[in-house]
Amino acid sequence: MEKTSIDLKRDGMEMEDLSGRVHQLPCSVKFDGPASVSHYFKPKPSGVGDEGLPLQQAHFRGRLLQGTTLNLPHGYSGFVLAKKSPDDNSNSNSWETKATFRDITYWNHDYVPSHNDEFLRAFHWLTLAKALHNPVTPEELASSSNVL
Amino acid sequence: MGSLPKWASKPCIMGIDEAGRGPVLGPMVYGCLYCASSYLKTLATLSFADSKTLKEEKREELFEGLKANDSIGWDVDVIDPRELSAKMLKRTKINLNEISHNSALGLIDRVLKMGVLLTEVYIDTVGDPGKYEMKLSKSFPSIKFVVAKKADSLYPVVSGASIVAKVTRDHALKEWVLDETAENMHRNFGSGYPGDPQTKSWLGDHRHSIFGFPTLVRFSWGTCNTYFKDIAEVLWESDDLDEDGGSNNKNGKRQLKLSNVGFISKRSEEIESSGKGRCRFFEARKLELLTHF
Repeated sequence: MEKTSIDLKRDGMEMEDLSGRVHQLPCSVKFDGPASVSHYFKPKPSGVGDEGLPLQQAHFRGRLLQGTTLNLPHGYSGFVLAKKSPDDNSNSNSWETKATFRDITYWNHDYVPSHNDEFLRAFHWLTLAKALHNPVTPEELASSSNVL
Repeated sequence: MGSLPKWASKPCIMGIDEAGRGPVLGPMVYGCLYCASSYLKTLATLSFADSKTLKEEKREELFEGLKANDSIGWDVDVIDPRELSAKMLKRTKINLNEISHNSALGLIDRVLKMGVLLTEVYIDTVGDPGKYEMKLSKSFPSIKFVVAKKADSLYPVVSGASIVAKVTRDHALKEWVLDETAENMHRNFGSGYPGDPQTKSWLGDHRHSIFGFPTLVRFSWGTCNTYFKDIAEVLWESDDLDEDGGSNNKNGKRQLKLSNVGFISKRSEEIESSGKGRCRFFEARKLELLTHF
């Protein structure tokens, strides 16, 4: 637990690009491992929502899911991380990149995706974080003290 | 849509019946058959009977006959198993009786809109006949409804509708194109009734530890649970809100129930976030700072 390291790689020989295949479901599947997703989970386009989001429809375990695919904001990438096998670095908590993705499809059970959904609203943070962490230029400082 | 026959503007009678309500897989079909009231006597000689008492070839033959008969009109509403599962597993569940009622109402509406002068409709009951009749009469005050048990064997016009429904359901299942593309899938569905040995073995062969079943199966049927005992458990956000829903442990369930009593606002807060002390901005967006993982 002492040392946590994450090895983020965007390009690599064995790096798989999972774009178009990353799904966020409104349920928790008590299973970890590979599954034949493409044979069973078949999203179909279902028009455009009131808010202009392109919609998709799929079924999982009998429930109707309505989803939308969103591209990750410019400058961001998605990473699938896996813990490095503990024997080569027993004391540290190291993670390595297994795959990357540029978009994510998130699904609601029974209701149409909307900009009001927590999942979409979570991206507000990126804008806010940028504003918070951007260095303040002397000009900005000057202009704000003028206002005061 | 063809042009409306002349007899349709005279008082008409219609029968409605369903096929495939009980099966655990495949579509449920509502069928209707209508004709001028003056044609009823002839209709009675066409040897329509409750479709369940007829052999498959006889049903097919009768269906071909009534399709070719200019004095008879018919229509069907095929309800996809995906739709049945989805409605019955909605956040606010719609039960099968309601789905059935709405299908029948939809058929009546469709035939009326075509311009057929319906004055009498005979229909096999779903649920309580009295309540069902009230529902129908309220939607269509100008029509006289006869809602009865075993209407399909009592009234030839309903027997005819039962043939329309049954043959359509059989064809739909026979020609069903499975959504799933996994290997080793086959089409020996059987009748679809939970007790049918062929259906049972099909269900056994197509059970999947993650996806449950192909979407041909009605996931809302109790039969499925016996097959789902040892597959991966799936917990739904929507079930956490539901007092009767499948919660993971007894304590969790009890707690949810208690917090439900009279504290609606508290309830939504709990769902939004369990982390206390976070800024509301993050709480509402389910964002949390992770330092250990």
